[in-house]
Amino acid sequence: MERHALMEELLAVRDGEGTAWTKGHTATCPTCSAELFRVDQVRAQLKALPVYAPPRDRFAVIAAAARRERRARWVRSAAGLAAAAVLTGLTFVALRPHADPAFERAALDRAMERSQALEQTLHALRPEHRALPGAAAQAVAELEDRLSRIDAQLGDPGAWQGTPGRAADLWQQRAGVLSALVDVHVTRVAAAGL
Amino acid sequence: MADTIPLAEARSLVAKARSGDADALEHLYRAYEAGVYTLARRLTKTAEDAEDVLQETFLEVCRSLGSWRGEGSLWGWVRTIAANKALMRYRREKVRETDQLDEELGSGARSEDVPLRLDLESALARLSERTRAVVWLHDVEGYTHEEIAELMGMTASFSKSQLARAHQKLRGWLDEGSSV
Repeated sequence: MERHALMEELLAVRDGEGTAWTKGHTATCPTCSAELFRVDQVRAQLKALPVYAPPRDRFAVIAAAARRERRARWVRSAAGLAAAAVLTGLTFVALRPHADPAFERAALDRAMERSQALEQTLHALRPEHRALPGAAAQAVAELEDRLSRIDAQLGDPGAWQGTPGRAADLWQQRAGVLSALVDVHVTRVAAAGL
Repeated sequence: MADTIPLAEARSLVAKARSGDADALEHLYRAYEAGVYTLARRLTKTAEDAEDVLQETFLEVCRSLGSWRGEGSLWGWVRTIAANKALMRYRREKVRETDQLDEELGSGARSEDVPLRLDLESALARLSERTRAVVWLHDVEGYTHEEIAELMGMTASFSKSQLARAHQKLRGWLDEGSSV
């Protein structure tokens, strides 16, 4: 006598899997066919169960915590920048003692100073407190991504110490991205009259 | 739950929220809070646990907005974070319920709380936390057994057998209830 399908086999058929035997059997066996219908109904009933509403509004707590974390990231970012600047300067001197680095060193110093000045300008604009329209927000997000990638390279001497001029180039790129970020926020301040 | 925010709008809201726009963040929260809370209620033991999962999920969403690539469903991304947060609690508490525990819950410790005529909601609540999570993730949220296995640190075949046993139990309890 042919056996009935096991629950695991019925569920596989319900989910569009299942072996040829199970599919054939459930198509002809009234008991298994009814059981298959039943497990399908249970799934439909589960999906129809009511949605729960949270008993308390947690948004204010979440928004406050998100703001705190965002501020902390800015502080860490500024500290990381300072550390990267020191590291770049020290490594530059240590690795190139016999070259004539005057021109390169001057370019690096200029780029670092410009980057740091722009960082301070941006910080003073308090961008984390300003709502931006969609296109500007997208632009800021992309610029911040670029900034993160540049910072990651600056924090890794292996990414630039073997290539003359690379460190200065990265700092110049960083200053360029910061300048673009400042432009976005200054434009927003002017437009909003803030 | 279907995604209630169209993809283009989701991209714009995420970009705004990333730049610190509290209104955009609130829009995202309001769109998904019930979905996240409901999922958390189904995967955790208590309403308080579910509230904690709701909060942890949205804090993680705030931290990780940059990692959403803007290609798939935003709700799907948020839901996976929520499932991970809920299941992390489960793993942290080292819940290792057995089917025996299901039976104890059904016929012993909680018998006074169980109505004579069981509906699906009550039957679902009688399942162990792990089994209920498998049922909910597979049958309602549409996760595959392979995805559940990854989320819960088990094998796909174990997930399948958990689902089958859960349906056997639900069938028994619902039959028992309807015959009273």
